[in-house]
Amino acid sequence: MSASSPSADVLRGTLDLLILKTLALEPMHGWGISQRIQQVSKGVLDVNQGSLYPALQRLEQRGWIGSDWRTTTNNRRAKYYRLTATGRRALGEETASWRRYVSTVELILGTP
Amino acid sequence: MMPFDRMLLRLRAALRRRAADRELDEEIRFHLEREQEKNVSAGMSDSDAWRRAYVAFGGVQQVREAHRDVRGVPWLADASSDVRVALRALARRPALAGAAVITLALGIGANTAIFSAVDAAILRPLPFPAPDRLVMLGENNPEMNWHMESVAGANYLDWKEQVRAFQDIAAYTSGTGHGTLTGAGDPQLLTLQAVTGNFFTVLGGRAALGRGFTNDETWDTTRATIVLSDRAWRAHFGADPGIVGRTIHLDGRLTQVIGVMAPGFTFPSSTVDAWYTQGWDRASRTKVWFRRAHWLRAIARLAPGVSVDEANAQFQVVVRRLQQQYPVTNRVMGAGMVPLHTYLVGDSRTALFVLLAASGLLLLIACANVGNLMLVHANGRAPEVALRLALGAGPWRLTRQVLTESLVLSSLGGAAGLSLAWLGTRAITLLAPARTLPDAGVHVDWSVLVYTLAITTACGVLFGIGPALWSARRAPGDALKEGGRGPHEGRRMRRWGEALAVAEIALALMLSSGAGLLVRSLWRLAHVPPGFDPRGVLAVGLELPQARYDTTPKVNVFDDALIAHARALRGVTDAAIVSHLPLTGTEWTSSFSIEGRRPGEYGSEVAHREVGPNYFRAMREPLRAGRTFNASDRDGSPRVVLINDVVARRFFPGQNPIGQRLTFDKIPDSSSVWRTIVGVVGSEHQISLDAEPRIEIFTPQAQEPSGDLYLLVRTPGDPVSLVPQIRSLLHDIDPEQAIVDTHTLDDVVATSMARARFLTTLLLVFATVGLALAVVGVYGVMAQLAQRRTREMGIRLALGAPARAVRWLIVRHALGMVVPGLIIGTAGALLATQALRSVLYQVAPSDPLTFVAMPLALALSALVASWLPAAHASRADPAQALHVCQ
Repeated sequence: MSASSPSADVLRGTLDLLILKTLALEPMHGWGISQRIQQVSKGVLDVNQGSLYPALQRLEQRGWIGSDWRTTTNNRRAKYYRLTATGRRALGEETASWRRYVSTVELILGTP
Repeated sequence: MMPFDRMLLRLRAALRRRAADRELDEEIRFHLEREQEKNVSAGMSDSDAWRRAYVAFGGVQQVREAHRDVRGVPWLADASSDVRVALRALARRPALAGAAVITLALGIGANTAIFSAVDAAILRPLPFPAPDRLVMLGENNPEMNWHMESVAGANYLDWKEQVRAFQDIAAYTSGTGHGTLTGAGDPQLLTLQAVTGNFFTVLGGRAALGRGFTNDETWDTTRATIVLSDRAWRAHFGADPGIVGRTIHLDGRLTQVIGVMAPGFTFPSSTVDAWYTQGWDRASRTKVWFRRAHWLRAIARLAPGVSVDEANAQFQVVVRRLQQQYPVTNRVMGAGMVPLHTYLVGDSRTALFVLLAASGLLLLIACANVGNLMLVHANGRAPEVALRLALGAGPWRLTRQVLTESLVLSSLGGAAGLSLAWLGTRAITLLAPARTLPDAGVHVDWSVLVYTLAITTACGVLFGIGPALWSARRAPGDALKEGGRGPHEGRRMRRWGEALAVAEIALALMLSSGAGLLVRSLWRLAHVPPGFDPRGVLAVGLELPQARYDTTPKVNVFDDALIAHARALRGVTDAAIVSHLPLTGTEWTSSFSIEGRRPGEYGSEVAHREVGPNYFRAMREPLRAGRTFNASDRDGSPRVVLINDVVARRFFPGQNPIGQRLTFDKIPDSSSVWRTIVGVVGSEHQISLDAEPRIEIFTPQAQEPSGDLYLLVRTPGDPVSLVPQIRSLLHDIDPEQAIVDTHTLDDVVATSMARARFLTTLLLVFATVGLALAVVGVYGVMAQLAQRRTREMGIRLALGAPARAVRWLIVRHALGMVVPGLIIGTAGALLATQALRSVLYQVAPSDPLTFVAMPLALALSALVASWLPAAHASRADPAQALHVCQ
């Protein structure tokens, strides 16, 4: 297991936020989520796929996302995740708190 | 709301582990396939694309683990793996595990069995609705030394009408009667209980068929009605559903059955076959005897919202008013109340709590013993632990593993103990004297199971905590270096083991001191001469029904025929009759006064009994002065009495009592019947062997015959063999007369000591097991010590130390545990045995003999236990001993 430095938590929190944001557009399966994040961030953010699935499980247990098995466009079974009402509310709060966090860090970095 | 939902989800996930794993695997497979497809479309070969997809994903197994951690309840999965590991570890050392399980089973079994008895007798509520609202009322009279005695009829009625704090008061006659059921084959004896009409209503008893009595039926002198118990209904009437309304012949009288009670209702005793109403005459209420005779047990139900204290305050006001209103009978008559439950369990409470405490000590010894076994076990697996520590296992994880092992062990012991307890409750039910345990018996039920689970867990923690804490505290380097026996930790573990042995000695001493005191007490009790010779005497109980034996001559004809026929039986050397037997708890008492002395000078009551001629010869009791009764002391001849020598000593010191007169009136008047003392006889213990003989007066059965009587026959052979002959001679005299009971007087004496013997037997068993466990425990510690020091012994022997000195080294070490154990144990025992004070007969709780003998016995056993390993060590071949530890 990795050493527990404070940045690990922050990153995990970020991953949750990114998943929520991605699912706000449409229900999606795990691989789709990872592709979408990579795409939208223009390849800057490479989601650690190993931590994606535990994160999805965690969010589902928190009641922020739901899941069901569906058939994909090319006729394969896949587990699709979708945002729940609670999750939508949480996305708003998490986004606000992220912005606050970023601007605080900016502020600190900006001071000479 | 959310957390609970989430908990459920997690729990379900934990339980549905396989299904969730499968789902995840499918998800991962889908992911990898898509990734592969993407790579292929980017121009890679199939296998290359798959490899890249796999690498990009990271470790599949790690994802699975992480997923499980999020999803499930990790400790549950860990616990089940801990349990599996523990079971494997124990299975590898079957001897050790077996010894531990057996030891624990003994401790837990004994404890659970006794707890079942305590639960049944004391903790379980009475089988009535709102049982905590029921109180027993009784009369107290300081002049007569009465406490919670039977109540006079008139006082009962006044309380019932005047004390508002009681919703109602019911009363039943103290002592049951019997009636003979005839008209269907052999005469059958029914146990009858006289009650007031409101008896069932106050207690909340429900009739399964027909009805119970009504309040007014207390006063019904004309109709004969009974309510049957469920048991009698089944046993004597074949559970006839049409029984209600039927008329039966009871003591020759036509009696109507008006109801059958529901199965659970058996108050006041499980032997009751039927209840009938008092049938008092309303005219009696104003008679003096109705307030003077005390024959009722009164049970009140508190009015709603009234506390016991408030009720008692109101009750006392009424009692004081009656004292002023009726000075002749009530001048000093007080009254008291106790919760019905307390009244009913009062006697067994001490004995059962003593046994519970004793079985608790036994359980602690068992725990200490297993604690030591666990230390041996922990030492044995030290290398494994060291390795795990070195590999980075967390200390908490290791502690938990060891603790799990103790809990698994204690659970196995608890399960085995539960089966032992089941057997134990059977044994206790058989051994326990009458009225110690409730009629429903002792069973292992849910509350007992919960108790067992609790003590089992407590045991597991208790004996596992030492090794559990220390196993994790080692520095891995140390542990590996010495094969897990780092010098520092090793000493700490050894100290713990020795402390356990000290505790075992102390606890065993406490147990055996208690048992020793009880044995001494029982021995003394068994050697108290009862005042008569019980050997070879059969007692046959009879109750002549008032309906058929309504005059003195009729009873006398029966009695004379009975004695004459009985004496004529082959093998019978003597026959006599008496109104009731000594040592059975039945005692009739009366106030009395002696002619020419100031009334009220005596201030106490006298026991009295009716006896036939030859009673004292048949019982082999000495005549101290004058004569005993003879055939001419009959109805119509001058009234005569005999006194026992306690009366002679107390009231006629230095005088000749013969020829003086007495009466059974407290304040003699012109209507008093005077009786002349014609003789002085020896004294019997009337109530129990541990109570001094009381003052007692005997009257001739032929002058005032009692319908309740015992025929006594003495034989040089086996008295029980006479029963069929007596049955047939009784049939010849009166074919409608049934026998109430038969006892040998030896049994009567034995039964009177039953409670003391019960307590002593069980405590002796506990003490013996406890002592054995403690000795085994000491042996175990010493054997380990000897083994650990084998190398040292070898060096000493090689350097020329005599074997004696080597043995002494070991024994001296043992003394270091034995002496503190004995000191702590003696102190503990001196405190604990105070609780035995009320059950000991002529033995002080700090009896010097016991407190010298028991520590000595324990010291000797412990020294023998340490001598064996010491002798073994001193015989060690130095060369080999040196070799062993290389």
